[in-house]
Amino acid sequence: MYKVPDGIQYTKTHEWFKLDGDVATIGITDYAQHQLTDVVYIELPKVGDTRKAGSVLLTVESVKSAEEVYSPVSGTVVAVNNELETKPELINKDSYANWMAKIKVSEKAQGISAEEYRKLTGE
Amino acid sequence: MKTPLYEEHVKLNAHIVDFHGWDMPLYYEQIITEHLAVRNAVGIFDVSHMGDILVSGKDAASFLDYLFPTAVSKLKENSCVYTSFLDDSGKMIDDCICYLIDKDRYLIIPNAATKDKVFSWMNSRKGKFSVNIADISSKYGCIAVQGPRSRDIASDLGFSFPEPFKWLSADWQSSNEITNTKSVIISGTGYTGEKGIEIIAESKAIVEIWKLLVDKLANYNGKPCGLGSRDTLRMEKGMLLSGTDFNEDRTPTESSISFIIDNSHNFIGKNKIDPKPKVIFRGIVMKEKGIPRTGDEVFIGDRKIGSLTSGGYSPSLSKGIGLGFMDRASAKLGQEIIVSHNGKKIRGVVVRPKMFPLEIPPSPS
Repeated sequence: MYKVPDGIQYTKTHEWFKLDGDVATIGITDYAQHQLTDVVYIELPKVGDTRKAGSVLLTVESVKSAEEVYSPVSGTVVAVNNELETKPELINKDSYANWMAKIKVSEKAQGISAEEYRKLTGE
Repeated sequence: MKTPLYEEHVKLNAHIVDFHGWDMPLYYEQIITEHLAVRNAVGIFDVSHMGDILVSGKDAASFLDYLFPTAVSKLKENSCVYTSFLDDSGKMIDDCICYLIDKDRYLIIPNAATKDKVFSWMNSRKGKFSVNIADISSKYGCIAVQGPRSRDIASDLGFSFPEPFKWLSADWQSSNEITNTKSVIISGTGYTGEKGIEIIAESKAIVEIWKLLVDKLANYNGKPCGLGSRDTLRMEKGMLLSGTDFNEDRTPTESSISFIIDNSHNFIGKNKIDPKPKVIFRGIVMKEKGIPRTGDEVFIGDRKIGSLTSGGYSPSLSKGIGLGFMDRASAKLGQEIIVSHNGKKIRGVVVRPKMFPLEIPPSPS
C-alpha cells in the first residue's frame, strides 16, 4: 500500500535519502506521511547548518502531531526546499518528489535498502 | 474489534488506526478535506463503536434522574438530551446522549472507550430501582451524517429530518429491539457543531444505509469522514472529548457545561458541584504560527494558569487552537496568553470554548 521506491536508501525512522556524489537529498517516506496525516507546517533548517547522522534535521507539524525528522547523514545543509514553507501539503501528495533538504555529506552514510524498509513497515 | 462497517472502510481505502481497541478509519483521503466537507457540504462518519445501553422498567425514569444531573424524566416524546454520568464527588465519568424511547424505556449512547465502565457504574447503582439495564452495543451500528447538506442527502434516501435533539423512526426491513418495530432511528444529533443526524440501526441495516449514502455522497460534494476530522470538528466547536478533556476529574461547571444541571431533582454528586469553580474549561486561539498540543501549559507572562487537554490545527481557521482547564479568575475572555510547546512560546488569546466561527473578544483591562 505504501510506496517504497527502489534505488534510494531509507532509515528506520522513516526518512529516505539519495546520494548524488557527496550530496544527499533527504525527505520522509510515504509510510511516514500517512502516519503524520495532513502536514500543515514545516520548519526547515538553514543553509549552512550542520547535522550529525541521527540528530534532528527539522520539524514537521501535522493536523494530528508534531514530529521530528532525523538527518540520515552527517554534514552541512546546502539546500532546502523552500516551496514546502508555503505548500507543506506537497509532502502528502508525493513525499519522494518533494524532498526537504540537501546535505553535503562529511562522513560515509549508510541507510537500509528499500527491501529492508518494506519489511520494517510490514509491506 | 471491528464495527459492521469495517469492510466498507477497507473498500474506500481508509487509513485504519486503533481507537481504544477498535479498528477505525482515521481518514480516507485527508483530514482537512474531510473536515471542510462537513463544514461546507456533508460528511458521513461511522460511529458504530459508541455504546448502546437500553434501560427499561417501571423505575427507568427515576433511576436515570438519580444518575444524571439532567432530569431526563422531563424529556418530551421523541426527544433526547446531552448529559453526563457523575460520580459521588460530582466528577464526570462519561458524557452521553439519553433518548426517551417510550414510557419506561430509555436508550443511552455512551462513548466507546467508557461503555463498559458506564455499564458497570449503572449496575452498581441500580439498588432497589426496578430497571433492566441491557448492553446491546454489539448488535447496533450508528452513522453520523453531518453538514449543511445533510438534510438533502437524508431526503434522497427517503428519511425525514428531525429537529435538533428530536428523533423519529424510519421504516426499514430490520429488527429493532430499541423501538420494537421494523425500523431505524434517525436522531437530530451529532458532534461536529453542524446541522445533522445520526442513524442508529441493527448491524445489517447500517451496512445497507452506509452503502446508499456512499453512492449519493458525490452528488452533494460529500465525503466519508474519519475520526481525524471528527476530532478537529468537535475541537473547533469546543466540544468535550470523554477520556481526553475529562476523565473522572472534572465537574460539569468546571467543564463549561452547566446547562446539563437541573437542580430541581436529586442526583448523584449534586452537592459536590461548585457552581463557581476555581478552574474553567476555555478555548485558546493562537495569534502566530505554531500548534499547541495536549499537555502544553498555558501562561500569562511567567505565571501558569492551566494546561491543554486538547490541542491541534483548526482546518476552518488555519490556526492552532486548544482547549483546557484554566484558572477561572485569570483566563478571562480576550486575555492574551502564551502556550509553551516543546520549549517554544506561542502567543494566543483566551476565547469561549467555541472557536468556529471565531470571535475574539476585546482584551480585558
